[in-house]
Amino acid sequence: MKKQENKTIAVRASLKDQNLDVVRYAAYAVSDAAYVFIKPAGKRAVALEFTPKSAAAAKDLLRRFKEELADEQKRAAIFASNRDLREFMILKALAYEEIPPSGQREDSGLTPEQERELDALIAQVESEIKKESFGKKVKDPLGITRTWEEKYGAKTGRKK
Amino acid sequence: MAQKQAAKNNKSQLLLPQALWQKIGANYLLTNDSGHYAWLKEKDFALVTAGKMAEKDPLFAELAAKGFIRNRLDFNDLAAKWKKKNAYLYYGPGLHILVMTLRCGNKCLYCQSAAAGLGAKHTDMPLAVARKSVDLAFNSPNPGITIEFQGGEPLLNWEVLKNTVLYARKKARIAGKDLKLALVSNFSLMTVEKAEFLLKQEVSICTSLDGPKALHDKNRVSSSGSSYDDTIKWIKFFQARHDKQVPEYRVFKPSALLTVSRYSLSGHKEIIDEYVGMGLEDIFIRPLAPIGYAWRLWDKIGYDAKDFSIFYLKSLDYILKLNQRGVVIREKMASMMLDKIVNFRDPGYLDARCPCGAAIGQLAYNYNGDIYTCDEGRMVGWEGNDLFRIGNVFTDSYKKVMNSATTKVCVVSSNLEAQPVCARCAYKPYCGVCPVYNYETQGSLWGNMPANDRCGLFKGIFKALFMLLKNPEKAAILKKWVAK
Repeated sequence: MKKQENKTIAVRASLKDQNLDVVRYAAYAVSDAAYVFIKPAGKRAVALEFTPKSAAAAKDLLRRFKEELADEQKRAAIFASNRDLREFMILKALAYEEIPPSGQREDSGLTPEQERELDALIAQVESEIKKESFGKKVKDPLGITRTWEEKYGAKTGRKK
Repeated sequence: MAQKQAAKNNKSQLLLPQALWQKIGANYLLTNDSGHYAWLKEKDFALVTAGKMAEKDPLFAELAAKGFIRNRLDFNDLAAKWKKKNAYLYYGPGLHILVMTLRCGNKCLYCQSAAAGLGAKHTDMPLAVARKSVDLAFNSPNPGITIEFQGGEPLLNWEVLKNTVLYARKKARIAGKDLKLALVSNFSLMTVEKAEFLLKQEVSICTSLDGPKALHDKNRVSSSGSSYDDTIKWIKFFQARHDKQVPEYRVFKPSALLTVSRYSLSGHKEIIDEYVGMGLEDIFIRPLAPIGYAWRLWDKIGYDAKDFSIFYLKSLDYILKLNQRGVVIREKMASMMLDKIVNFRDPGYLDARCPCGAAIGQLAYNYNGDIYTCDEGRMVGWEGNDLFRIGNVFTDSYKKVMNSATTKVCVVSSNLEAQPVCARCAYKPYCGVCPVYNYETQGSLWGNMPANDRCGLFKGIFKALFMLLKNPEKAAILKKWVAK
């Protein structure tokens, strides 16, 4: 429903299938061409008054508003269905840390020769620890060093 | 629970997770926050937005790969692209503009730099201010600091400039930061001695070149005759030095900036040919900003966004034709936008960031130590309105400057999510608004985008670039521009 009084173009928009924000954003999108005044028109509708900024701007105004309204309805539906997902995606993007490709070793700053020496030293220390503990009965009355599986066996089923 | 509900509803699974669109001709350009884009025919757009596109549809796989299908999202890929494109959010300001003096021998018609007469020596930046400015710049957590010497004509304050270059180099060595130094000069006071110092200190050189002699001299009026002659002489000098690299230091290729006045609008070919003739490989076609002297003379030298758009598009078309003939010439604005569109990369174009680069990407230090959000903000200050002044190097710390109310309001007002039209625009992933421009032209930091000329201009450029990317031959040229 529309009527033209002086220069003002009046339009009524239902709020049954769309909320006020949808109408408001669609109206804002044409604010280059007209001043827009939105006021309540009953419980589930609003009245929009467009005052064109020029005669040329008035020409396409309603067509543009209708197109914007249709677009905004789509946007609102997509936004409503995906709000949580979008928030998750933005949080993930904000916290994203690039992982170096697999196979790419972190540069330790050591020469290959130093790396080899270090590896040999680590192997030597590990071997000494093994020798020291071999044959000795380690005191562990509470079984802290034993795994859950060693103590109780592997899990057999899922508890409900 | 939410997953179960989604699984029950097959239609909603195929809905777009997040998308922005623009109808261009009979087709729709679809984009998302990660920067992916796709072209859809009207019927396909209707299917996608209704959540009814079949998986066997040939378009489905493309849309899924680009993050447009809700149950086929590659979260890691989308997050990586988003972060790469918005990497600047994790650093502080990288660009630090030091206004060495307001004095200048030129009286350019459109001068935005608040230039003063040659006698105004009180507008020279003292060494103490310059050093304090450098100290503050190095407080930025950004690992890469660029210090740009501007004016007026910065060479008028040569001794301070020279000393500041050395001081900044020393600071960078101690701080372990990557330092880039840049000089913007009209060359009227350039000498071989000064040039040698700048080359040895790896200072990159930028000047203004508005086109052929008649046009350049008309726009850039010089008190000492032809400003064009000085410009050309020194562009050639720095070009020659660039072509003859030496082992001791890097010599950067000189660059030039074009400012388009009303007098330029009828001569796009001549202007571009001038750049090509000078061996310049980049031309930055910048519109006149209605700030400073330009605003006062707008009736004489200004134009509306539509005129500039026509000029820009004709220029871009001519540049592409030159490229097809093997000439190396790129348009800088297009290159920077393409870097975002094609490479998901931030090119460092502070005017088209979200939020904009004001304060969080750049700082402008006036000759007296006053700090502004950006050079445009400083120009507003020169007009008598210090809204964009965020501190002084002697009285305010880096932390205080970053926490100032003006810094915060610039960030909030240039956040595209909070701009009703921008938040819905297909070009949002690549664009940015300018609170200073909005304030100067529309009286509000937020502005009104439907009626904003800068917005109209950017939309025109983006539309042209996306259309060109549809053409395989032209797309190949454009992609080559940003292949580095």
